[in-house]
Amino acid sequence: MADREMEVMNDRDGLGVGEDVIGDRPRRYQRRRPKQMVPDYLDWKDVDYLRQFVPERGKIMPRRISGISAKDQRRLATAIKRARAMAMLPFVAD
Amino acid sequence: MAKRTYEVMYIINPETDAEKIEKLNEAVGKLIEKEGGEIVRMDDIGIRNLAYPIQKKNTGHYVLFEINGTGQEILELERRMRVNDLVIRYMTVRVDEDRKKAEAIKAKREVRNEKRTTKFRSDETESEETTEAPAEA
Repeated sequence: MADREMEVMNDRDGLGVGEDVIGDRPRRYQRRRPKQMVPDYLDWKDVDYLRQFVPERGKIMPRRISGISAKDQRRLATAIKRARAMAMLPFVAD
Repeated sequence: MAKRTYEVMYIINPETDAEKIEKLNEAVGKLIEKEGGEIVRMDDIGIRNLAYPIQKKNTGHYVLFEINGTGQEILELERRMRVNDLVIRYMTVRVDEDRKKAEAIKAKREVRNEKRTTKFRSDETESEETTEAPAEA
C-alpha cells in the first residue's frame, strides 16, 4: 500500500517513471517536464539557445535530464555538432 | 534544376586587413552569381571568439552567406575556399528541407490546436446538458 502511494507520488506529473539500465543495476529516474520548447526550425547558429543544452563540460545534455522528445533531441544534436564544427561551441571545455 | 537554399559560413584569419576581407567577400559574391546562384542574404558577422583555437588563433572573422542555387556554385566555392589560406574554416548547410519540415510541423500543430479548442467547446456543452438533465427529472 505504501509502495503504491510512492508510485503515485512519483508519477504525479503524469509523465511516467522510467528505468535506465546502466551496468547490471537498473537506475530509476523520473522523467522531467521539458524546461523549454524546441523551435520548429532549430537554427544551428543560435548559440545562445543551444548553450542551454550544453552544460559546462561541453557535452550534449541527455534527454532524461532536459526532458525533450527523442525527435527534438536528434535535431538538437545535429545543430550542436554543426556549431561545434564552426568553433561556436566547444567539443570539450575544461 | 532543383532550387535549393544553402547557408555558407566561413571563418577568416582575424589578422587579415579589413580591405582584403571585403575583397574576398566580393569575390565570393561574384563567383556565386557567375555560377548561377542567387544571394539571399550576406552577413558579415565580424570578429568572434572561437570556442577552441584553430591554427593557434583564438578569434575569427565570421561571414555568412545565404544562397539560392543548384549546388554547382557550392562545389566551386568550396574548392576555392579549400585552397585559400585566408579561410581557416568553412561549412555549407542545406536549409530548405529543414525549413519545409518546420513549416509542416507548424501547420500540423495549428490544425491540432484548432481541433482541440472545438472539441473542448463541445465537451462543455455536453457536460452542461448532463448536469441539467437530472435536475429537471
